[in-house]
Amino acid sequence: MLAQYATTLTFIALGAIFAYSFYAVLIAGQLSLGQAGFASVAAFSAATLAPSGDDVGDVPALLTAVVIGMAVGAVASVVLGLPTMHLRGVFLAIATLGFAEAVRVVLLNQEWTGGAQGLAVPRILTVGMAWTALAVVAYWFWRMGRSRYGRALEAIREDELAARSMGIDVGRHRLAAFVTSGAVAGLYGVLFAYYVRLIAPSDFDFTAAVDGLVTAVVGGSTMFLGPILGSGFQTMIPEIQRAVGVEAGWIRPFLAGLLLLVVILFLPGGLTSLIPRRTRVPSSSGGPGGAADPAPRLAARAHPAAGETVVSLTGLAKEYGGVHAVRGVDLEIRSGEVVGLIGPNGAGKTTLVNMISGLVPPSSGSATVLGTTIGRTPVHRVAAAGVSRTFQHSKLFNRLSALENVLVGAHLVSRPTFLRRLLWLPSARRDERAALEHAARCLRRVGLGELAGNRASSLSYGDQRRLEIARALAAEPSLLILDEPAAGMNHVEAAQLSELIRSLAQGGLTILFIEHNVGMVLETCTRVVVLDFGEVIASGTPAQIAADPAVIEAYLGTADDDPGGRSVADGTLADPTGSSGAATPDAVTNVDPSAAGTLDIPDTTPRNAT
Amino acid sequence: MRVSFSTAAAATAAVLVLASCGSGDGGGGGTAASGELAGEGTGDSCTIEGEVPIGAVLSLTGAAASYGESQQRGLELAAAQLAEKGGVTYDLRIEDDQTDPRQGITLFDQFVNDGVSLIIGPTLSNAAVQADPIAQEAGVPVLGISNTAAGVTEIGDYIFRNSLTEQAVIPQTIATATEEFGLQDVVVMYSNDDAFTESGYQAFAAALEEQGVTVSETITFSKADTDFRALLTQAQQSDPDAIVVSALIEAAIPLVTQARELGIDVPIIGGNGFNNPRLMADAGQAAEGVVVGAAWNSASDNPENTAFLADFEAEHGAQPDQFAAQAYAGLMLVDQAVRANCAADRESLKQALGELENVPTVLGEFSIDENRDAVHPAVVQVVRDGTFAVLE
Repeated sequence: MLAQYATTLTFIALGAIFAYSFYAVLIAGQLSLGQAGFASVAAFSAATLAPSGDDVGDVPALLTAVVIGMAVGAVASVVLGLPTMHLRGVFLAIATLGFAEAVRVVLLNQEWTGGAQGLAVPRILTVGMAWTALAVVAYWFWRMGRSRYGRALEAIREDELAARSMGIDVGRHRLAAFVTSGAVAGLYGVLFAYYVRLIAPSDFDFTAAVDGLVTAVVGGSTMFLGPILGSGFQTMIPEIQRAVGVEAGWIRPFLAGLLLLVVILFLPGGLTSLIPRRTRVPSSSGGPGGAADPAPRLAARAHPAAGETVVSLTGLAKEYGGVHAVRGVDLEIRSGEVVGLIGPNGAGKTTLVNMISGLVPPSSGSATVLGTTIGRTPVHRVAAAGVSRTFQHSKLFNRLSALENVLVGAHLVSRPTFLRRLLWLPSARRDERAALEHAARCLRRVGLGELAGNRASSLSYGDQRRLEIARALAAEPSLLILDEPAAGMNHVEAAQLSELIRSLAQGGLTILFIEHNVGMVLETCTRVVVLDFGEVIASGTPAQIAADPAVIEAYLGTADDDPGGRSVADGTLADPTGSSGAATPDAVTNVDPSAAGTLDIPDTTPRNAT
Repeated sequence: MRVSFSTAAAATAAVLVLASCGSGDGGGGGTAASGELAGEGTGDSCTIEGEVPIGAVLSLTGAAASYGESQQRGLELAAAQLAEKGGVTYDLRIEDDQTDPRQGITLFDQFVNDGVSLIIGPTLSNAAVQADPIAQEAGVPVLGISNTAAGVTEIGDYIFRNSLTEQAVIPQTIATATEEFGLQDVVVMYSNDDAFTESGYQAFAAALEEQGVTVSETITFSKADTDFRALLTQAQQSDPDAIVVSALIEAAIPLVTQARELGIDVPIIGGNGFNNPRLMADAGQAAEGVVVGAAWNSASDNPENTAFLADFEAEHGAQPDQFAAQAYAGLMLVDQAVRANCAADRESLKQALGELENVPTVLGEFSIDENRDAVHPAVVQVVRDGTFAVLE
């Protein structure tokens, strides 16, 4: 019974292994078409270099070939990966496609490969061996899924910038995924060669690459079973067509294409989206045995002592072309402070925090944040020093659950678990549980404990803002930067947020936040910095700021009864809606500029046109 | 989730239903007991009770589709004529390997399991090297109808072919052309990314060396190329006596046309790939004088060939090419082998195929040699007045 389907089953296994080489990079958001090239180079090298089955026995010969092939595939992927890892999306696809094509042409013109007529290889692979290899590969990706490494890759796929600011070294992770892909492609190439008896460079051409990609995508590129389902689907289509008696010829590829279209239309997430995704939500009680074996807490970060300098900016400036977004800012933030950064739209607030968190290098001036010099330090290093932030426009990992988002936030404070998970070491389980409980605590802290299992994209706007805060908190930062955290929150929620920020500060955290809700800023902060036209125009306690005539003039606005008297061009009319906020600093009033009344004329003058 | 699942399931089911509507006869005819495959009488009077299952693996889609389609037409014409003849009925199952080694291997496996008496094909030599061992191991005879690469029949004693190897056709072509045109130095052009044309090139190179003709330049191109002007200009510079080309018909037509446009009027010598009526149909006047060494003499006036040309034209409204002729001859030879012992089981067929001798076919008097390779006259043709004529 099985023997009758041995060929089909073998090809399902081979197709799935090849699809895994695409899955390995798709899961990290990379679109590569170079895998056919890796497989080709690996297959030809292994078939040439490996000893003959007659000398050492079939299985040792195949194993040697597999080792050679995977090594060659991995090396080839490093060689290709190092210069191309900064490419994204379709550019990476084109570069890797170019590589695969170059490999094909080179192999075609080599004497030792047999050129177009191919290289004869003995058939050693059996259906059992193919499925064993598939099981090993699938196991690898299964165990990777819920490890710190696997989550980091998914985070990169969902939002690279956010992943960077959570302390993930994106370059290294992307290269690691790429090398995994190369090794798996190499494995496929060797197994394929030792099954089909004759390999020619045309077996690893563009069509083969697209075939592998389609298999991975149809199966689903976000769950480890995807490639197997995809390969089963792709391999069974011709079988089923033969079984039902579709006439051989063009009609078959046509129907296969149509079926593919239907699957992609109705199941955009691939066949695995039929499998309900289990989301882990740790019960707060700790579950069975939880009381007896309390999970170890994650390593807590030692915050700088109160009063120590956390951020020190000297003459910091940023220009975009001729536009001076930030001009000569001198600022010092000390541990334990809660600094509010306010100013009209376009005042340079976000640019300033982007520089502090390392996302944007300054044009001039110097900045030291938690001991790291800002400028050439990569974002993930700044994050590792203890800076964590949220973004003005939510940058969540949309297809991950709320809890998984927060788990990624805990990247820096949790331990790597992938290799230990491969070996089923209990310590990995403990570490994972500790990370989970830590993440759940962070979620509960912002009031999202109930929504842990929901996809980030399904949350309401306000909940998304809170999830960002939870994710930033999970990194146990020393400096927390919040970019308009209260946007989209009603006054009750904003008051709760204010409460949360103050309680965090009591725990030793230094907080810098941008907010348009001036009332909330004045209520929450120990110090307020006012920015206008990229310059600090005032800095002081909330009471000082509320009374500062320059601030009232420039930002909060006065109860001026002659708005026409002010110049639009000089920007002083920027935000006239805050008058009530200035008058009653204790009231929580949202002065979102979008709520601006009919009174003002939009400021369309280019900033710093001089 | 549930909604999308049921929608998808319904859609999938709909496609499958649609697929089954397009079906002809079901392929799973079951295994005929070997007792039914033995009959009474010999030769034309042989009568076999059961249907003789014959599998054919052709590349009907994918890169080699144009050859597979020609072969399918040749096979179907032969099957129709054999059905009329009666006595032995064939259950010819033509399957498509999509020019994909995985499909080829799977199909051979299935045909072996389905109990066919013999497998015809596959279209490409590379596919034959990959799939023929399966039949060899299972003891199912294979008749290759277009495999020209060396070594295919060495796979085992169940592997036969009726297609002459390049080595059997090309030396004769070069010898005749050298004599006719007094060749001294030539330029060789070939597509190096195709197994068929590459092995053709190797045969050309060996034959040219044997004849003492100098190869002043060897130029390679890709089978997908259609613009040869730069390469031809390069060839022109060494002022050759002839240009020897190993290419498939898709490349041959633009190559010949562009050579004439550039004023290259030396003879162009091609191999099996050129033996296609499309050469004259599409290249027109430019094809005049092109020399084509081939396994099938389309201008032959032997009765089998004359009838075949007329029948094919009547059926398809076009002239057959070499692939169709070899496919047609292939099934006719299988019929000959079945009738020889009046038995169609695998072992009888294997034995009878090996003993085929001087069978009149569209390819001429046909025999199988001790290496299970084809023996029949090759031909050197030249295009004259829009048709192939034998170059004497």
